[in-house]
Amino acid sequence: MSMLSEPSTSRPFDVHGSPGERTLAPAATGRRDPVDPALCRQWLRDMLLIREFENRCMQQYQDKKIGGFCHIYIGQEAVAVGCTAAVRPNDPIVTAYRDHGHALARGMAARHCMAEMFGKIGGCAKGKGGSMHMFDREHHLYGGHGIVGAQIPLGVGLAFACKYMDEVIDGRPNSRVALAFLGDGALNQGAIHEAMNLAGLFDIPCVIICENNGYSMGTSIHRGTTMGHDIISKAIGYGIDGYVVDGMDVLSVYHDMSAIVEKCRRESRPAFVDMRCYRFKGHSMSDPRKYRTTEEELQYASDDPIGRLKLHLEERGELSDAVLKDMQREIRDEVRESIAWSEASPEPPMTELYHDVFVEPHGPYNGTSLPKMLQGKDLR
Amino acid sequence: MSTVTVIDPTMSATREIEFRDALREAMTQEMRRDPRVFLLGEEVAQYNGAYKVSKGMLDEFGPRRIIDTPISESGFAGMAIGAAMMGLRPIVEFMSWSFSLVAADPILNNAPKMLYMSGGQFGCPIVFRGNDGAGGQLGSTHSWCVEGLFSNVPGLKMVIPSCPEDAKGLMTTAIRDDDPVFFLESERMLGMKGHVPEGDYLVPFGQAKVRREGTDCTLVSFGRPVNFCLDAAAELAKEGISCEVLDMRTIRPLDIDSIVRSVRKTNYCVVVDQSWSFGSPGSEVASQLHQHCFDDLDNFVHRVHSADVPTPYAFNLEQEYLPNARRICEAVRSCLYRA
Amino acid sequence: MPTTVTMPRLSDTMEAGTVIKWHVKEGDTVASGDVLADVETDKATMEMQTYDDGVVAKLLIGAGDRVAIGTPIAVIAVDGEDASSASGANPAAASSAPAAPAPAETPVVVTGTVVMPSAHADNGARARISPVARRMAEELGVDINSLRGSGPGGRVIKRDIESAAARTSGGTAPASMMPVVAASAPAAAPSLPVVAGPGAREVAVSGMRQTIARRLVESKSTIPHYQVSMRFNMDPLLELRKMLNAQLEPQGVKLSVNDFIVRSCALAMAQHPYFNASWAGDRIIIHGEVNVGVAVSLPAERGGGLVVAVIRNADQKGLRQISLDTRALAEKARTRGLGPEDMMGATFTISNLGMYGVDNFTAIINPPNSAILACGAAVERPVVRGGQLCVGTELDATLSLDHRVIDGAMAAEYLTTVRHNLENPATLLV
Repeated sequence: MSMLSEPSTSRPFDVHGSPGERTLAPAATGRRDPVDPALCRQWLRDMLLIREFENRCMQQYQDKKIGGFCHIYIGQEAVAVGCTAAVRPNDPIVTAYRDHGHALARGMAARHCMAEMFGKIGGCAKGKGGSMHMFDREHHLYGGHGIVGAQIPLGVGLAFACKYMDEVIDGRPNSRVALAFLGDGALNQGAIHEAMNLAGLFDIPCVIICENNGYSMGTSIHRGTTMGHDIISKAIGYGIDGYVVDGMDVLSVYHDMSAIVEKCRRESRPAFVDMRCYRFKGHSMSDPRKYRTTEEELQYASDDPIGRLKLHLEERGELSDAVLKDMQREIRDEVRESIAWSEASPEPPMTELYHDVFVEPHGPYNGTSLPKMLQGKDLR
Repeated sequence: MSTVTVIDPTMSATREIEFRDALREAMTQEMRRDPRVFLLGEEVAQYNGAYKVSKGMLDEFGPRRIIDTPISESGFAGMAIGAAMMGLRPIVEFMSWSFSLVAADPILNNAPKMLYMSGGQFGCPIVFRGNDGAGGQLGSTHSWCVEGLFSNVPGLKMVIPSCPEDAKGLMTTAIRDDDPVFFLESERMLGMKGHVPEGDYLVPFGQAKVRREGTDCTLVSFGRPVNFCLDAAAELAKEGISCEVLDMRTIRPLDIDSIVRSVRKTNYCVVVDQSWSFGSPGSEVASQLHQHCFDDLDNFVHRVHSADVPTPYAFNLEQEYLPNARRICEAVRSCLYRA
Repeated sequence: MPTTVTMPRLSDTMEAGTVIKWHVKEGDTVASGDVLADVETDKATMEMQTYDDGVVAKLLIGAGDRVAIGTPIAVIAVDGEDASSASGANPAAASSAPAAPAPAETPVVVTGTVVMPSAHADNGARARISPVARRMAEELGVDINSLRGSGPGGRVIKRDIESAAARTSGGTAPASMMPVVAASAPAAAPSLPVVAGPGAREVAVSGMRQTIARRLVESKSTIPHYQVSMRFNMDPLLELRKMLNAQLEPQGVKLSVNDFIVRSCALAMAQHPYFNASWAGDRIIIHGEVNVGVAVSLPAERGGGLVVAVIRNADQKGLRQISLDTRALAEKARTRGLGPEDMMGATFTISNLGMYGVDNFTAIINPPNSAILACGAAVERPVVRGGQLCVGTELDATLSLDHRVIDGAMAAEYLTTVRHNLENPATLLV
C-alpha cells in the first residue's frame, strides 16, 4: 500500500489518482504473516513464466503463428498470481480477454494455452476459442471472455451457483467464493452495474476485481470514467465493500486478497477491489501506445512486480543467483517446448467444425440439414 | 365427413387446463424432481407472476428457488448463465421477450456459444421463457417476435408451442435439455384451454405434429399462428381446397423432413410465421424447401408474415398486421393458382 | 546459429511494413526487448523489438524499404558466434519464418474479340415451367415447348401438363388420368341471360367443376363417340357372389357386382388390346398395363364432383384384391382426397350407377382412353330361358367408344367376351 499512499517526488506519474481515505479499507489493514520463502519463489517462477510466455506470444503473433487479437499481460503478473494464491483451487474464476496470465497462474499447461492460440487441436478449447477465450474445467477457469464487462454477470452467477449448491441442495453453509476480473475499461458497461446490484442484493460471494491499469485501450481512466480516482465508490453505491490493493506487489495482492476472500467466504457477501497496476505493453498487438509518454512507461517499468519480488527475496537472502538462473532456463525451455508442441499439434479435424455446438455430439442438425461431411457417419 | 385428424394421446382424459397452468405444471414437476432447477425473473415470486404462470410456486418452493429479480435483464440473464455453467438448471422468465433485447449479449453471445468456445468443457443447460408476439395492442416496443432475430444463432434450441398440451410436454423437455432453450410463449394464448396429460409428459424437440391432414396444400407454421392456419384450413375446405397443417413445435431444430414429406404429396406450400419476413424462420423453411423439394413444387413457396412495419397500436391495424386467417386463405389460393 | 529477423506482423490487418528508421547498425550488441527499428504499418508506426540477445550481423533492407510480412530484414548472431560469418549465412535457409508471399499475379491482358456463348441461342425464349410440371412432363412424355402455360406470365404448371397428357398422350408412358384437384384458369365467362324468378341465383364453380367441364367438353367435342349396349344374365354371378361373401365375411371382405365387372373387363383386354389403347394423332398406342379407372363421386363436404380412382394392373389382380383396392381408393377419395398417383394412368374406365337404380345410361370417354363402360343396376325381369318365361336378374351395360380406335364389330366382340366372363363367373376365380 505504501507506494500509493506516500506522495513521492521521484514518481511524477500517477495514472490512477489518489483514492483518499479508501486506502484504509478494512481488509487491507489486516495482519501480514510472513510468507514461506519457497512459496515466494514459486510465485516468482509463476510470474516469470507468464512474462516469458507473453514475450514469446508476441513473437509468435508477429510470425503469424497466432491469429486474431492478442492481448499481452506483461506488467500485471502479480495480480493473477497473487489472487490465485489467495483462493482455493475449486473457487471458480472468470476473466476478460487479457487472460493468458490467469490461465497459467491457475495451472493450465503452457502448451495447452499456446496451442489454443495456434488454433491447434491440443489447445485448451481444441483451437475453437483463441487468445481471448481460455477455458479450463479442471482448474475451474470459466473463461476468457471477449465482450468487455460481460463476464461479470457470469462471475456473479458462478458464485450464486456455489452458494445455491451448498445452501439449497446440500443444506450446509456456503464454502466457495468466485473471482471475477475486469479491466478499468469495463467500468462503464451496464452489465457490471447490474451484476453488482444483484450481488449486493442477493448476498452473493463474488469478489469483483478491477485490474485498473489506467487505460481503457487508449483512453485514460480520467478521460472515460467519472470518479476514476475512486472507483470503489461505485461498488459502495451497490452496498458492496470496496478495497484498494497495490497490484504491482504480489505480496500485497496475496495478503489483501486473502483477507478479502476469506471475509466474503465467511459472510457470504460480495466485494470489489480496485487493483492498481500497469500494463507494460500496448492494449493489443497493434497498439503503438501514442497516448502515453515514454517517461511514464519507464517510471512504471522501474516498479516491475517481478523486480520487486526478486528484490524482496534477495534482500532476505532467499534467492541465489544460481537458483534464479536455473529458474529462468527452465522457464525458457518450458515456453520453447510449448511452442514446439503447439507447432506439432495437428490442426483440428474438419469434423470439429460441427462438434460442441450442442451437447449431443453432432446435433441436432435435423434430418436433411445435416452437413454433408457428417452424413452417413456414426455420430456417437 | 371431417378430414381433421388431431393426434391427441389424451383423448380419453377429461382434464382441461389453461396454457399457463400447463407451463406451471411442467416447471413445478421438474422442480420437485431436480433440486438444480430454479426459477428467476421479474415478479415471479411474491406477485405470483405478471401473467400468473408461476402462481403458487413461491409457496411450494420458497424464495431460494423462486427468485424475484429487479428489472435488470442483462444482469440476471448473465447471472443465470454463470449458474448454468456450474451445472445448475435455471429457468429465466422474461416478462416479455421484448425485454430480452437488453440482455442480448448474455443470451446470444454467452449461452449458445459457451460449449463451442470452451471446446466442449462448459455447457449451458438453461431455459429462457416468456411472452412473444403481438396481438394485445401493446405497441411496437412490447410486441416483438424474437424468433426471426434469435433463431439465426447456432447453439440454441427454440421452442414455440401452439396449445396447452405441447406447452407442458415441450417445457418438460426444455428443462431436461442440456443446451440453452429459448421458449416462446404467447400472452394471447395463456388462457387457452385444452387436454393436458397429467404426470411426466415429454414432447421431443424436432418433431412436427400434423394438426390437420390434407392433400392440396401444405401449411407450415409455428406457435400461435398454427391456430390461424387451422381456421384458414376450415375456411378453404369449403372451397374444396384440402390443407395439411403442420405445427412445427420447435424452430431449432427444424423438422424439415416432415415438411418435405408433406410437400412431396401436395406440391404446394405456404409458410405462416408471425415474425417479419426478412431473414426469418419462414424464409428458412422456404429456402430449405427449394433445396429439398425443387422438383416437387408447382409454385414458389408462399409466405405469410407479420407486415413489414413496426407493430401498430390501433386494433384494426394490428389485426391486419398479423398473419391472420384471411391473409392465409389468400396466400393459399394464390399459391394454388386460384386467386 | 544466427537468427533471422523477419518483417513482423504489428497489426491485425497488416500485410507489409516499411522500415522508417533502423535504431541499430551492423555490429551493435542487442538484448531481448531492444528496439531494432521503427516500422510503419497500415495503422501506425510501431517499434519492432528483438526477442534474442546477440550482435546485429546484417541489415538486409534499408530505411524506407517496404516488404511483406515474413521477409527477412536482419540477421542477429547469437550465443557469441562470429558476426562476420553469420552475416554470410543464407538468411532464407536460416529463417524459420514462412516464405515471403509470391508477388501478385500479373494481370493477363487479353486481346482480340471475345465471343460470349449465348445461353439462349433461340432469341432468349425459354419455356417457363414449374419444377414439378417439368418433372411430370418428362415422366409423361409431354413436349413442354408445345404448351401455353396457364400460370403467371405463361408459366407451365402442373395442371397444364396433366391436361396435355390427357389430350395428346404423347410418348410411351402410361397416359395421365383425369386430374380433378387442380383447377383450370377460368375461361372468359359468356354473358348469359338469367331467367328471373324466386329461386334464381348463381353458384360459384369450384376448380374441380371447372376441370370436369373443360375435360368433358374436350372429350365430347374431339372424340367421335358412339355407343354399343349389351344385356347380361347376372343370376350365376349373384349366386356365386353370395356364396363367396358368406365365406369372406370373417375377413372383412365384401365383393361388389362392380368388382366382378372390373375383373371381367380387365381380363378381356388380353383378347382385345384396342380397348386398352389411346389415339395419338397419327398412330394408336397400345398400353402395357391394364389400369382400370373407376369413377367415384365425392360428397358435398369435399366439394362434390367426380374423380376417377385407378386400379393398377387389374388384369393381374384377383377379385379380393380388386375389392380391397377399390374400397381403399373410394374411402380415400371421400376423406383425405386422392393424390395424383391414385388418379393417373388409367387405360380404361368403368362408370357404375347401378346403386342408384339406373337401368342404363351412356358415359363420356375419359381421355386418353378409347372406351368407357356404363353399367346400370342388376334388376329382376321376366326373361325367356330355354323356351320358358321366368324371372331372371339382368344388367344393361353400354360402351362408349372412340371410333378412331375401335369399330363397331370390335365393340361387339369385346362385349361378348365380357358377357362370357360375367355369365360364367367361375372363370373369374382363376
